[in-house]
Amino acid sequence: MAEITMAYCSSHAPMMAAARESAEEGQRNRFFAALEGIREDARRSGVQACVVVSNEHFTNFFLENFPQLCIGVGEQNWGPTEAWLPIDKAWIPGHPALANHLARSLLSAGFDPAFSHQLELDHGVMTVYHELDPDLQLPLVPIVENCAVHPMMPLRRCYEFGVALGQAVRSFTGLDRVALVGAGGLSHFIGVPRVGDIDEGFDRWFLDLLERGDVNGVLDMPDDELELAGNGAHEIRSWLAIAGAVAPARGRTLAYEPIYPWITGMGVSRFQLTP
Amino acid sequence: MSLYQLHRAIFDYLRAGEVKAGAAPDFDLGRYDLTEEERKAFEAKDVAAVYQLGLHPVLLNGYCRAIGYGRDEYRDILSAHVVPETRTGRWHKDGA
Repeated sequence: MAEITMAYCSSHAPMMAAARESAEEGQRNRFFAALEGIREDARRSGVQACVVVSNEHFTNFFLENFPQLCIGVGEQNWGPTEAWLPIDKAWIPGHPALANHLARSLLSAGFDPAFSHQLELDHGVMTVYHELDPDLQLPLVPIVENCAVHPMMPLRRCYEFGVALGQAVRSFTGLDRVALVGAGGLSHFIGVPRVGDIDEGFDRWFLDLLERGDVNGVLDMPDDELELAGNGAHEIRSWLAIAGAVAPARGRTLAYEPIYPWITGMGVSRFQLTP
Repeated sequence: MSLYQLHRAIFDYLRAGEVKAGAAPDFDLGRYDLTEEERKAFEAKDVAAVYQLGLHPVLLNGYCRAIGYGRDEYRDILSAHVVPETRTGRWHKDGA
């Protein structure tokens, strides 16, 4: 059976790759140091594949058909989509056996994810994946969620999806060591009058919930309240999915920097897993 | 009824990669069933108008970039449309 060797979440602002130097040096160093430490641990522990839960930005789906969840089950996926993102364009290896197992397990557990045999991976996946494996060789199962178009899955449902996802990963017999990654958030505002604002209070409150291992305080939050922290705050759905997957593990905040040039509260939280 | 059509038009406009700041794009708007108001907003590259019409923020962000507005510039344009917020989130009540 596969072990969830590591589980963490990270913000995924495109500027972390496209305008890295625009951030104040100390802030960007602290943010990237957190991801560098995770990368070293992944290598040391021999992670064989990763599952990255991120969100859809009208890259694969549009309003004609917008799934709440979609699992990339193909042999490979293409990314990054954005021409201006300074990450090598490449076919990213998938892991069809793991991905199909996840799809079947999640269907059996009462979830109905869509699937795709070829996803395009935008900054939402690629920035964080690239920090985990700059060589872009680690097999990746992408899962994209709807975090942008109403109606969206309630936060509690995202957490419950994560619980089922964790069980599905652990019941897979084809690998020994899998990393779970949540990508997105924290607070940010896109395409609205408050573009550029960051709600540090929300970000620190949410990270504190993860550290206390008690996300109940956020799971019943309606979307119109969550949006007070920015329309980009919907992306905490990915974080909640990972929290559910490894519950009751607590998060440990490795970095939090409100990076205004990147218009995003940039956080990294790693869950403290026990063997 | 046509708000979807406006979204589809702008999505296609961006995807086509035909938009360059200051250049008139070769884009067949006639394929879309837009209201006159939507058509005028699109043709005038009127960011405030497409915002008020209800264009999705993710598309609006891409549209602004494509027609040459940085985020500070489009923030300025949209600043006249800020709705004062009286609500607070629970994280404020928790003392954050």
